[in-house]
Amino acid sequence: MTDWLKKIENERTGDCYFIGKHPSGLEVFLYPKEKNNSTYAVFGTKYGSIDNCFKIQKESTVHHVPAGIAHYLEHKLFESKDGDAFEQFAKTGASANAYTSFDMTCFLFSCTENVYESLKILLDFVQTPYFTEQTVQKEQGIIGQEIKMYEDDPQWRVLFNLLDALYLKHPVRIDIAGTVQSIAQITPELLYQCYHTFYNLHNMVLCVAGDIQPERVAGICDQMLKPSQPIQIDRIFEEEPAHIAKARVEQKLSVGVPLFELGFKEIVNGRRPSTKQVAETEILLEALSSSASPLYRRLLDADLINEASFGNEYFEGPGYASVIFSGESKDPERVAQEIKKEIANVRSGGFDRQVFERAKRSVYGKNIASLNHVGSIANSIVSLTFAGRELFDYIDAIAEADMDSVLARLETQLRPELCSLSIVLPNR
Amino acid sequence: MAGIEQRSVCNGVNFCSIRDERFKTIRMSVHFLWPLTEKTVSANSILPFLLSRASRKYPDFTKLNEHLAELYGAVLDADVQKLGDAQVLSVSASGIADHYSLHGESISAELAKLLCSIIFDPPFENGAFPIQSFEQEKRQLIEMLDSEFNDKRVYSKLKCERLMCAKEPYGIGRCGTRQQLQNLTREGLTQAWTNLIHRARVEIMVLGDCDPEPIYHDFYAAFQNLARTDSVNCPNTTIPKASEVNRVSEKMDVVQSKLVMGFRTDCAEPDSGVPAMKLFSALYGGTPNSKLFLNVREKLSLCYYCSSMYNPIKGLMLVQSGVETKNISHAEQEILRQLEEVRNGNFDGSELSAAKLSLCNSYRTLSDSLDGLEAWYLSQAFRPNVKSPENEAELVQAVAREEVMNAARKITLDTVYCLEGSGVEA
Repeated sequence: MTDWLKKIENERTGDCYFIGKHPSGLEVFLYPKEKNNSTYAVFGTKYGSIDNCFKIQKESTVHHVPAGIAHYLEHKLFESKDGDAFEQFAKTGASANAYTSFDMTCFLFSCTENVYESLKILLDFVQTPYFTEQTVQKEQGIIGQEIKMYEDDPQWRVLFNLLDALYLKHPVRIDIAGTVQSIAQITPELLYQCYHTFYNLHNMVLCVAGDIQPERVAGICDQMLKPSQPIQIDRIFEEEPAHIAKARVEQKLSVGVPLFELGFKEIVNGRRPSTKQVAETEILLEALSSSASPLYRRLLDADLINEASFGNEYFEGPGYASVIFSGESKDPERVAQEIKKEIANVRSGGFDRQVFERAKRSVYGKNIASLNHVGSIANSIVSLTFAGRELFDYIDAIAEADMDSVLARLETQLRPELCSLSIVLPNR
Repeated sequence: MAGIEQRSVCNGVNFCSIRDERFKTIRMSVHFLWPLTEKTVSANSILPFLLSRASRKYPDFTKLNEHLAELYGAVLDADVQKLGDAQVLSVSASGIADHYSLHGESISAELAKLLCSIIFDPPFENGAFPIQSFEQEKRQLIEMLDSEFNDKRVYSKLKCERLMCAKEPYGIGRCGTRQQLQNLTREGLTQAWTNLIHRARVEIMVLGDCDPEPIYHDFYAAFQNLARTDSVNCPNTTIPKASEVNRVSEKMDVVQSKLVMGFRTDCAEPDSGVPAMKLFSALYGGTPNSKLFLNVREKLSLCYYCSSMYNPIKGLMLVQSGVETKNISHAEQEILRQLEEVRNGNFDGSELSAAKLSLCNSYRTLSDSLDGLEAWYLSQAFRPNVKSPENEAELVQAVAREEVMNAARKITLDTVYCLEGSGVEA
């Protein structure tokens, strides 16, 4: 019954998990965490807000769908003919949720009892779409409210303004929830079309982490998964130019402190960066701007950043990659200048060996710590899988990173000519 | 899960530990409890931030952070929060457990020493905190306060609490006001620090995969040195009922309005009715199957979020919602109508059991994270006997239907705060 599952072990972490392709086509990951009270399951599809133009390989038609439809679909899937999935989860006590990002949609629950019953509910509702004119229309009110809430959210606005400044064509610059106008075009037919394309089990992943018995989960997979025909989806993106749209963008909102995001666009050619490259970028950013870095100290001493908000991120997905620095500052322009100056220094002079070693240790520790939580494990495995990466490989890549490769990332990353600054200023 | 061990270090200082090898990390924290007063709030609030940035051994911020990075990205954290009418000033150290270090270093031993040194041995210059550190932390604290305004959901919740508790210590902001922070002086802080380490009530917690014994001895020695003689009393007041409804609205240039309704519940720790009140709040507005979510959000599409939250220490309950300006009064009526429904017993067995399952699920999940355990046991500070999350789950499980209705009947509306948006997209 479980011969499709194989065990992966990792010496450094002392952890192991099971991985396999279920006969239905679904890729399954089971991460046992003995004596954990809670179990966390994620059922995800490689389908997000950027997938608005696509073609099924055997067909000739190219489909263009309205912005925000993946997120809309996420909301609507909770409904079925006789009630919604939350009612079902209410009977097991599981806490259920879902999220849509740029490149994936995930449905999840966390529970401490009735694990297997909750898993059945999850697998069932995601595999059972039910959309009517009436239910689709009703959702426009709730999602419209959600969109409005984001319009007031300075963190959200400063990010999307940045993406709009960095990208000219790529749909990553469009709000995940779409707009009030775009969601008005959504119909049950369009939802079904997207559903049948992207919610094919061959395009999906299930990960369960917790005090679980792999054979029992496998049994539920056998019982609940509906075999699907293999599908090959071409996601079509207009070619993204090798320059940015705007070097600076500014918006006034009701805020008490100005916010900024400084993004460095990376030119990507088809393939996503490897596990090793992502690990190297994480170490590079740590060495460059962590609280132990000279840059951080200079910014802090000049009253330009605060510890509560300053941070960085490697923002990366299909067809897009950028390094983003963010925070609150009374003078974002000067923060940007200082960061660029430090990048130029490192580009010409490299790092001290000690700086590199410290950054590597720090990144390693943070990744070990993330294995405490079943939720963080399950969500990481799903997103790494969609990106073609693996969890333990990632931790090993950090532990084994060498300084020259880390510095070599600067050849394509953190280029000053591909940099935009987004600022949100107080409106009074 | 391993149980909690508690012992006394000295007068007013408790040490609690949970050794649990499920975790790949350790976390040790020291929480100073002090009564919230206008006079002391701001000086106290800056202390954890000042302490966590340097010690006599590591007087330089960057050097200290380099050392933490070498300890595999260990973190020294500072926090200030309110627990009922007490202010809690916390300094903590967390990092990976010893056997995950790549070269066999003992991280826990070093973090315990580091934590003791930053708390008890600050790098004073002429008896005061260094001027540059002081100015920088003051600025950062002011920015932290200012940025609370950025998130209107947070801002409106805090505003409602402040209005509602204007006559109680709890109505004081966790750092005081912007002006009070501006007026802080370096000289005053040395005294505030002395008061805190000598007289505050202290809760030390050591959690995760490490042996608490050597850490206990480090703290024991540090507190013995102080020769504490007494510790401050942290009283907590509650107002059982509201006499009339106080309404405040504020206009702002935002798209979505926020409505926050503050209720008095006539039930606070250590009252035995607390589990029933928690269950009532879950059934009323605490889950996606609650009355508020299903009716105000789903059925009527009035709000994107609409939920209730019970504060068992102060005996308050807040209902928060994000709503279109034109629907504010409709939403308010509907929120109150749903309260009537619970009072009248218009909920069935499945709603009750769903609320119980959901609460028990969240209590049991707490024990899977060090942060969750820490927050839980800190919240027990006002109880004569400490409950574990599992105890609480059992108590909630045993609550009867009538007790939920009675809990709902005890609720009185105290304050309605409304942040009115212009509704126009910026």
